[in-house]
Amino acid sequence: MRLLPRLIGFLVAAFIAAPLLIVVPMSFSTAPSLEFPPPGYWLGYYAAYFSDERWTQPTINSLIIAFGTMLLTMLLVTPATFAVVRHRFLGRGIANLMLTMPMAMPHIVLAIGYYSYLGDLRLTQTHIGVIIAHTALSVPVAFLILSANLKGFDRNLERAAMSLGATPLRTFWHVTLPVLRPGFAISALFAFIQSFDETVVALFISGRESETLPRKMFESIRMQADPVISVVSTLLFAAVVLAILMPVLWKAVQSRRSRSGSGSAARGNGPAITGTAPSDTNPCAPARVQLEA
Amino acid sequence: MPDPYLQVSALTKSYGSVTALGGVSLDVEKGEFVTFLGPSGSGKTTTLMIIAGFETATSGTVKVGGRSLSNIPPHARNIGIVFQNYALFPHKTALQNIMFPLNMRGVPAAEAERRARAMLDLVGLSDYGGRWPKDMSGGQQQRIALARALVFEPSLLLLDEPLGALDKNMREQMQIEIKRIQKSLGVTTIFVTHDQSEAMTMSDRIAVFEQGRIDQIGTPQEVYRRPSTPFVARFVGDSNLLPGIVLDPEDGLVRTEHFGLLRLQDRLPSAIGAKVTLMLRPESIHVAEPDARGAADRPNRAEVNVHTIVPYGESTLLIGRSGGADLRIRLRAQEADGIGSGTSLDVLWPASAVHAIPAA
Repeated sequence: MRLLPRLIGFLVAAFIAAPLLIVVPMSFSTAPSLEFPPPGYWLGYYAAYFSDERWTQPTINSLIIAFGTMLLTMLLVTPATFAVVRHRFLGRGIANLMLTMPMAMPHIVLAIGYYSYLGDLRLTQTHIGVIIAHTALSVPVAFLILSANLKGFDRNLERAAMSLGATPLRTFWHVTLPVLRPGFAISALFAFIQSFDETVVALFISGRESETLPRKMFESIRMQADPVISVVSTLLFAAVVLAILMPVLWKAVQSRRSRSGSGSAARGNGPAITGTAPSDTNPCAPARVQLEA
Repeated sequence: MPDPYLQVSALTKSYGSVTALGGVSLDVEKGEFVTFLGPSGSGKTTTLMIIAGFETATSGTVKVGGRSLSNIPPHARNIGIVFQNYALFPHKTALQNIMFPLNMRGVPAAEAERRARAMLDLVGLSDYGGRWPKDMSGGQQQRIALARALVFEPSLLLLDEPLGALDKNMREQMQIEIKRIQKSLGVTTIFVTHDQSEAMTMSDRIAVFEQGRIDQIGTPQEVYRRPSTPFVARFVGDSNLLPGIVLDPEDGLVRTEHFGLLRLQDRLPSAIGAKVTLMLRPESIHVAEPDARGAADRPNRAEVNVHTIVPYGESTLLIGRSGGADLRIRLRAQEADGIGSGTSLDVLWPASAVHAIPAA
């Protein structure tokens, strides 16, 4: 009987996914507070979300902070990863530990630490303050993903480039970076999401000026069960699904492009080839192994 | 006498207390094809990487055209390299890969493409310029890597076990192909391999590496017929090594432990009573005509008891025992017909087939 285990599996999956999906119909509901099933449907709360500055401003703040976090994280993580993965030096083990430690630390502990630390620097309630704190949280994830990618990188590619006349800098620009691009992209995406999702640190550090979306949602649900929350949730849910599907879509577009108009470079090629050069190396796979380990 | 084109002098390389290279020297003439042959860990790849500039020697120098390479970074050495895994750039098409060294040298795009396409023609892949490396077979990737390493007219071509990843048929095809391209361009080439048959068929000269040193440098025939050490004799081709003591250096007479008296064609450089190792190739041993008897008394003759038979198709290897030692005998397949395990064979060999390796 293979039906029973499948049924159980399906029920468990449904139980986990239900809360995710329940917000979607609720966001179109006419009910004045969060209520399921909805008594009727309209787009009123979507209009409310997009026209109310108390919602749009935190959204913009979140985007600015997530983008800043992503940028700062990658600027720090890129040289750190190359140093730790490629070179042996005194304190390498400690550097490795420091880079991954924030991940094991409870957010509330970090939040309290940053609250008093950034307070002394007068950086609480500023975008910069939140970006700094969020970067500390994003670095481990970005580092793990990037280092997994870098470990799998064939260094003969760099040797080949140098033997062919590329200086170390041009080798990095023309070979290392493009080959590792998927790894960089995934790493940056996770840094962005980490910041965009983060609530605990944001509660402590972001103030009225730099209030982030998760903080606004938390406060909103505490004060009144505003159905706009379900609108925001639905939009975030859609954004995440889109972000996950993006590489797949990108690949589809690429292969279609190279199939239809490959131009002079593909002179005389058979129809069998489809060129999607570097994007098929799944950069997430090794990273995931790392995270589980 | 002009200086040799490539001059490697007394290279050493140590990693802490481990010595990877213990003084490697060799000269290569312009246009020559020299193979570094040796087992893994013998220092052949380390030497290659020092020439390429990816490793620094602990001491010693490398000169090309009289100019020392010591302070020149890899990208300024103008040396083409083909790696075992080809190391084609996965984000570039075959043509873009070949154009890369020209782009790095600031060659105008149109000329770069023209020259790259000429290389594609040379390696027989004219229609493959637009392919991605992952859509090509191992042999095709190999040719693209070769084209990329040659398109900028390097002063030296280094091949690091480039055929290791190919299957047997493709390997033989590429041996011929690489040799043809190398000859047509006249580029000075160093080829690294642990495959002795590859070394024999492709090289002008072979340098046999053992434990961080070169045991012998010579033409394939020299290395095969007159190995200078027991290691070379064992590593290049199949051999019988017979320890013995010199009886008469003028007459070329040696008493061996297990096979009685052996006579050499040439006089021996050693004194009477000196220890010597004699090498005898299995294929130079023949079965004696049945009428002649009394094998044990005469030089270059032995009575063996066959205990192992290994057919190779066109030839058959017999291993026979005599006086407590094995003798390897390789006969043409027809000659070995009728010989079974336990057969007693009367075998002999010409004096010209015996080569003396002086004891170190």
